[in-house]
Amino acid sequence: MSARRVLAVARRIAEGFRRDHRSLALLFVAPLFVTALLGWVLRGSVAGTIDLAVAGAPAALVEALETAAADPDLDVEIRIEATDDVDAARAAVRDGDADVALIVSGSGASIGLTIVTQGADPTAEGSQLGAVQALISAAAGSLLPVPGAAMPDISRETIYLSPDADQLDALAPVFLGIFAYFFVFILTGISFLRERVGGTLERLLATPVTRAEIVLGYSIGFSLFAAIQVVVLTLFILAKVEVPALGPIPAFTIGLDVQTAGSPAIAFVVALLMAIGAVNLGIFLSTYARTELQIVQFIPLVILPQALLGGVFWPVERLPDVLQAIAHVLPVTYAVDALREVMIKGADFGSSVVQLDLAVLVGIAILFVVLGAATIKREVA
Amino acid sequence: MHPSRPAPAVEAIDLRKAFERIHAVDGVDLDLRPGRIYGLLGPNGSGKTTLIRLLAGLSKATAGEARILGTRMPSRPMLGRIGYMPQSEALYPDLSVAENLGFFAALQGARTRAAIDRVLELVELGDRKGSPVLELSGGMRRRLSLACTLVHEPPIIFLDEPTVGVDPALRVQFWAHFRRLAATGATILVASHVMDEADRCDELLFIRGGKVIAEGTGAELRAKANTDNLETAFLQFAGLDAEGRPVDGSPAQ
Repeated sequence: MSARRVLAVARRIAEGFRRDHRSLALLFVAPLFVTALLGWVLRGSVAGTIDLAVAGAPAALVEALETAAADPDLDVEIRIEATDDVDAARAAVRDGDADVALIVSGSGASIGLTIVTQGADPTAEGSQLGAVQALISAAAGSLLPVPGAAMPDISRETIYLSPDADQLDALAPVFLGIFAYFFVFILTGISFLRERVGGTLERLLATPVTRAEIVLGYSIGFSLFAAIQVVVLTLFILAKVEVPALGPIPAFTIGLDVQTAGSPAIAFVVALLMAIGAVNLGIFLSTYARTELQIVQFIPLVILPQALLGGVFWPVERLPDVLQAIAHVLPVTYAVDALREVMIKGADFGSSVVQLDLAVLVGIAILFVVLGAATIKREVA
Repeated sequence: MHPSRPAPAVEAIDLRKAFERIHAVDGVDLDLRPGRIYGLLGPNGSGKTTLIRLLAGLSKATAGEARILGTRMPSRPMLGRIGYMPQSEALYPDLSVAENLGFFAALQGARTRAAIDRVLELVELGDRKGSPVLELSGGMRRRLSLACTLVHEPPIIFLDEPTVGVDPALRVQFWAHFRRLAATGATILVASHVMDEADRCDELLFIRGGKVIAEGTGAELRAKANTDNLETAFLQFAGLDAEGRPVDGSPAQ
């Protein structure tokens, strides 16, 4: 092993990047762009107004619902339209005049409630149902048999972060590890494919360089850029810089101001391990591609399943058994777990969960290094 | 063995390489001496590149053996004493002339400014040091490729079609330089399918179908075939008539 040759390979990667502005943009601008867009979507989307059609309800209930809906502390505005006709309520939902219909049947002790939605957009309807159910329980409080009995005041607290943490606070830290992994994979895959196709690998192998020196040099070269990417992205996620209005441009903020509990330094280590794994996964898979387009074709095959199963959007423990088993061999799963433990729950290197995640990530990185080196065909090591 | 002759720099003993059922190199014996330029001549697909890759230790022989300076190939330490110029461009298009050269020099353990400047001067690219390769003409890329091959001053040099796409004036300079390298004791094997380059070599190896069909100096081969034309001589050794048809009625390879 010659440090000089390893550094020569790493330096070659860096020199290549300097003139490849498109790859630089992919590495630095694309993650910021996607994260900023995600932040905008998650935080800027309006909760909207829910139109609730109520059918067959006694006047007292309608009145109680209206009182509850008038509460200024409610997250969403709920407009109530009372009607006697059950079919008209259903038609209103079907035609889009109402979002939710509440159909009351029976009375007294045998009262039954049916909630009707279109069923066309489960996610949006899920949040509407939640709001309507909250409204019903608030209204039910005033209908309790004991007159004047007030509903208890419920206050909320969370173990981690704060109660007003939103989806972005939970998602953004996870993106740190994922972006480094995906972009570095694509870049090394293409870079190494060019070595194979362009004949430079042949020239490389006609020198005394060893395969280990090649994969190590590649890992250092690309990890360097991954490291800078992670730092830039971390700053963007955590920062909140207010830019005052200037002429026609209104005031705006740079950065997502995401709530975090743990040390970004540990998140950095996780992201770096992911990048080293990605470099060598790229080298390994470049053997199975002939053109750059074929590298891109690995995205739906290799990358998307990892994003779906790795716990980024759905918790791994809620997946079906078979998919859980698959998830547990994916590096993304361990990175996501470690990043959540650190950034949301405030764990540090002392946490056994983080230690286990890091150990698995190191193991996977080593496995990929071995696989990457093994695919460089050579008669001598 | 003549005791007065120097030890062979490049040796092949019944060297064979088969891909599936194709015998790309089919029992080649070689004995190349230092200070000489050898021309490996044959049509496309005759096994020139495969033979060079076997000798340079880039591919493993199916049978027989290749030796460089007495060491059996493939051998990693020996790679530092070989200069190999592949047929393809094999340069990094995003890197500058100096960066490409510096990279291969570093892998060969020869990254000194003096070595790089000297070889750049040699291929007349001294004033294009900072240009990225993708801005260079085909001829300039060929020159840079040669520079990358020679930067560590290897005693054994394998050149696979080094003058393809190189203009005549530059071709003359290339050969003059090969001659200077040979004069310092380098062993040079040049693969070519251009017969008019053959007379610049000290010895010729005609190769066809993975076999060496004739070897000797240009004069020896002409005398043997009783012709002034090397191309005619090649056809004769290959058992073909002037139109490239087999003379003895056996099917052409």
